[in-house]
Amino acid sequence: MPAAPGVPAAPGVSGVSDTRVMPADAAVWTRGLTKEYGPRRVVDHLDLFVPAGALSGFVGPNGAGKSTTLRMLLGLVRPSAGEAFVLGEPVTSPEDYLDRTGAMIEGPTFHPGLSGRRNLEQLALLRGVGRGSGLGHRRRARRERIDEVLAQVGLAGRADDRFGTYSLGMKQRLGIAAALLPRPKLLILDEPTNGLDPAGIREIRTLLRDLAGTGMTIFVSSHLLSEVEQICDHLVMIRSGRMLFQGHVADLLAAEDPRILMVPERDDDAERLAAVLGSAGLRTEIEMADEARSLPTLVERHPVVVAHAPDGLAAGINRLAMRAGITLRSIRTHRPNLEETFLRATGDVDGDLTMRGGAT
Amino acid sequence: MINSFRSEWVPLLRPRFLFGTVAAVAAVAALGAMLTIFSAGSTDFDGDPVTVAMLAAPSGISEGLEAVTILLGVVALSVTAATLAGEYSRGTLRNQLVAQPHRLRLLAGKVLALAVFVVGVVLAAAVVAVALSFALAPVKGIPTDQWASLSGLAALGKSLVNVSLGSLGYAVVGALAAVVLRSPAAAIAVGLAYALPVEMLVSRIYSPAAGWLPMHLMEVFSVGGTGYATPYQQAGLRVGVFCAVAALLTALMFRRRDVTA
Ligand SMILES: Nc1ncnc2c1ncn2[C@@H]1O[C@H](COP(=O)(O)OP(=O)(O)O)[C@@H](O)[C@H]1O
Ligand SMILES: [Mg+2]
Repeated sequence: MPAAPGVPAAPGVSGVSDTRVMPADAAVWTRGLTKEYGPRRVVDHLDLFVPAGALSGFVGPNGAGKSTTLRMLLGLVRPSAGEAFVLGEPVTSPEDYLDRTGAMIEGPTFHPGLSGRRNLEQLALLRGVGRGSGLGHRRRARRERIDEVLAQVGLAGRADDRFGTYSLGMKQRLGIAAALLPRPKLLILDEPTNGLDPAGIREIRTLLRDLAGTGMTIFVSSHLLSEVEQICDHLVMIRSGRMLFQGHVADLLAAEDPRILMVPERDDDAERLAAVLGSAGLRTEIEMADEARSLPTLVERHPVVVAHAPDGLAAGINRLAMRAGITLRSIRTHRPNLEETFLRATGDVDGDLTMRGGAT
Repeated sequence: MINSFRSEWVPLLRPRFLFGTVAAVAAVAALGAMLTIFSAGSTDFDGDPVTVAMLAAPSGISEGLEAVTILLGVVALSVTAATLAGEYSRGTLRNQLVAQPHRLRLLAGKVLALAVFVVGVVLAAAVVAVALSFALAPVKGIPTDQWASLSGLAALGKSLVNVSLGSLGYAVVGALAAVVLRSPAAAIAVGLAYALPVEMLVSRIYSPAAGWLPMHLMEVFSVGGTGYATPYQQAGLRVGVFCAVAALLTALMFRRRDVTA
């Protein structure tokens, strides 16, 4: 029976589909999370869901509000409105979940005059790492834990050098080591690959994948989707503080409309090819491609038949064309990657340009 | 809080910082001892005559230390402001708050460690000042037998307590400036500007205000009230109230404000 207009449903009636009830597997869950700095709304009614035990990406251009959101999740910044829960506890009492949370926010920040190891020691003392054992044991347990995390991030060799002398990559790794100190269930990293060279980025990716393999929940932000799309199971995309997309990476890709682009040898065959594919149940259209755009003296325009189909169908489509006596000058598959999806979603690039630039 | 206290010693004990601070304080203390001893037979800063007999009294043992209370206060204010504000400006505070989200516990541990550090600094200064006073006394023919007497040691103890408390008062101002301004340079500049020129100007323009200006009262308190209009107990009470208010403001701001640095 449909509810009468204007009458809100009784709470709890709608059961599992009720978005106001926190799912049991949520590591991070927010409703209407908002932060205003003066008149500026920096984070705007975010409804986040970060599943436990997965590697989730948090993507948005610079200034989108990622760091501000993460700061709210860590109790560093007070939300202006909305509610947020981390590991089942409200962010208003961070002491209830931060003992199980490791974090690096907006770059690695340590004391430049202290060695990497001493910096970790300060944080280990603060966290009470090795608590519960005797005094001598405690010190040993702390030392061992520090050595462990240093080895984990590959910094053991330079641990006794001053932080000020570290390269950016080493600083980032020390930041991750510090976040790992409490053996966290939840690891929150803000742009850990920022400023790294490709080799450094690969190292961090491998490290994150390994950590995720141990069952740790990881929430990692980046302003570049390409840096996290290969490793993430789950993705949150924001822009100007608002949610753009949230869900499984696979869902996003499936929603994206992969295409196969064909150029028949004879222009006249284009319509016939489109008809053949159409009768096979594929949605098709014909576009005029300006293939010689870069060579103005050789202007040669060929019609392109575009079939909306995943690349797995390319061979079958080729076979259909051959059976119909149509020879193809070229056949290309185009699977837009997440970056293009993202750019299109954010309106930075129009679909056509994205498609042409990203053809594979 | 004990965790926070212990962890704060890691940066405080870094060799460069420790050596720099102790060297500065030793120099200040040496200056105080020399000026005091060599002023025998002439006049002190305020133009009052200083005699060998005055310095030979039991309280003479700590005259050198007391001569530099303001400078020790400046060191205490600077160290506190630089340490606390540095955590904001470097961004290390956010790491610490993730490790110890209970903000007041974090602050209490830090402040306690800084207080012990400041008292340590005063003790170091006392050692230098007293040792140098003993060494230089024969030059001016000042007898030191009363210094080493029981009442001399009592005078030294009282002086140590007063100078330590005075320096801690300066440190409270440094902590407040650090939490408000969140930048070491700004905190030290504003803290010292207030402590020295601003109060002096105010008391010049309106002299009765001197009885209520906190930094001035700290100085009065530090030297045991001798030679000032405001009595020792009253100065102590007013300084205590002022420090309590400043500490409350510091704690409130540290607890309430967003950590965006
Ligand atoms: N303390 C602050 N006061 C005012 N504006 C801020 C403050 N912190 C961040 N902002 C603004 O909020 C926006 C989002 O910042 P941020 O969360 O750092 O974005 P991101 O991490 O996605 O790059 C930016 O436009 C930034 O200028
Ligand atoms: Mg950021």
